[in-house]
Amino acid sequence: MEFKKVVGDRRTIRYYDPSRPVEPEKVQVMLEAANRSSRAVNADFVKAVVCFRDELSEDVRQRLKTPTTTVQLDLAPVVIFWYGDLTFASGAQQRLKELVDLGALPVTHGWSHAYVDDVAYAQVVEPMSKDQLASTWAVSVECGLAIAQAMLAGVDEGLGVGLHAFESTAAKEVLGIPDHWLPMWILLVGYPAEDPKGGGQRPRRSLADNFYEGRYGQPWQEIPEVTERLRREGMIQEPMDAERRLAEVRELADRFGLPT
Amino acid sequence: MGGPVMHDIRSAESVRHWFERAGHHDAPPEVQEHRLTVLAEFCRHFGRDPDELVAYCFLRKRDTGQRFCSVKRREEINRALDAFAAEQGWTGKEAVVNANIVRSHLIHNGVPIQGSVWTGS
Repeated sequence: MEFKKVVGDRRTIRYYDPSRPVEPEKVQVMLEAANRSSRAVNADFVKAVVCFRDELSEDVRQRLKTPTTTVQLDLAPVVIFWYGDLTFASGAQQRLKELVDLGALPVTHGWSHAYVDDVAYAQVVEPMSKDQLASTWAVSVECGLAIAQAMLAGVDEGLGVGLHAFESTAAKEVLGIPDHWLPMWILLVGYPAEDPKGGGQRPRRSLADNFYEGRYGQPWQEIPEVTERLRREGMIQEPMDAERRLAEVRELADRFGLPT
Repeated sequence: MGGPVMHDIRSAESVRHWFERAGHHDAPPEVQEHRLTVLAEFCRHFGRDPDELVAYCFLRKRDTGQRFCSVKRREEINRALDAFAAEQGWTGKEAVVNANIVRSHLIHNGVPIQGSVWTGS
């Protein structure tokens, strides 16, 4: 699928076809997309545990459920539990030096083994890793980048995806999560039982509301031709039609016996 | 399942709010009656009227007094709904749909609660 259309097609899918399994091959594509994300100090910030719903015991499934996640966990054939690794600084010096040797961190920009040892690691990476707020920030941002790529890869593979919070205490226990992994999100994966376009794109504010040029307060001026091209190429799509969506929700509620 | 109970339950504030928000007034009379009956019977089973059932889901934090929706209370209601459905002899989709009638009443009154899903097995 064309990149702009993948971005435009992504929705938080809330109804998955529970009887249509997700191919492990497609999950691997998503994991590789996460693995290829941009990352500071070339560290492995992001960790994930992939759970195929039907391979979990009934007891484990029950323990992962909360009063606000039951429906999703029953419907989605795959749940990816995403975590951030707080030990990201471990091995950072060697990884940075490897990038120096490969020329990814070039001498033209001041990089050298000595700079890695004396400045980049000693003055930046290591202190950051020991500062709880800073390391939580770094891990969260880096994980977000990876998770976003995995989501988009899933859409590109024809899957539905949706990020949710989860009950991390139970998950830690049943999945054997180490203490230094910080819970991020669960990503539900499956073939949509709903319209894959979710009834249209969710409301978004204009670029000028959030993005600025030069300095804060000077809104980005949209170039109408670009906006129009993005409509043609599928990044910008029709907005949600509430009436149509509510009718679909009623149909899905009827199919799955859900409350209305 | 009697008429007076139906009358009483319909006048409860949380039930009026539920019907209004969910648009249940537009449903055929027998569907409305079924929903009210299921809720009334569950309320009897749980020992609380509809308004009390909603209130039961909320607690206040000891330190700040802030009201919050209790996970434990919602889990308790989910367990009670399972027991209630079994007691009624409901199975399969009927059990799922009827338990979710009660959840619908809670949801429209600000209690986020999910329970069973009918997946055809």
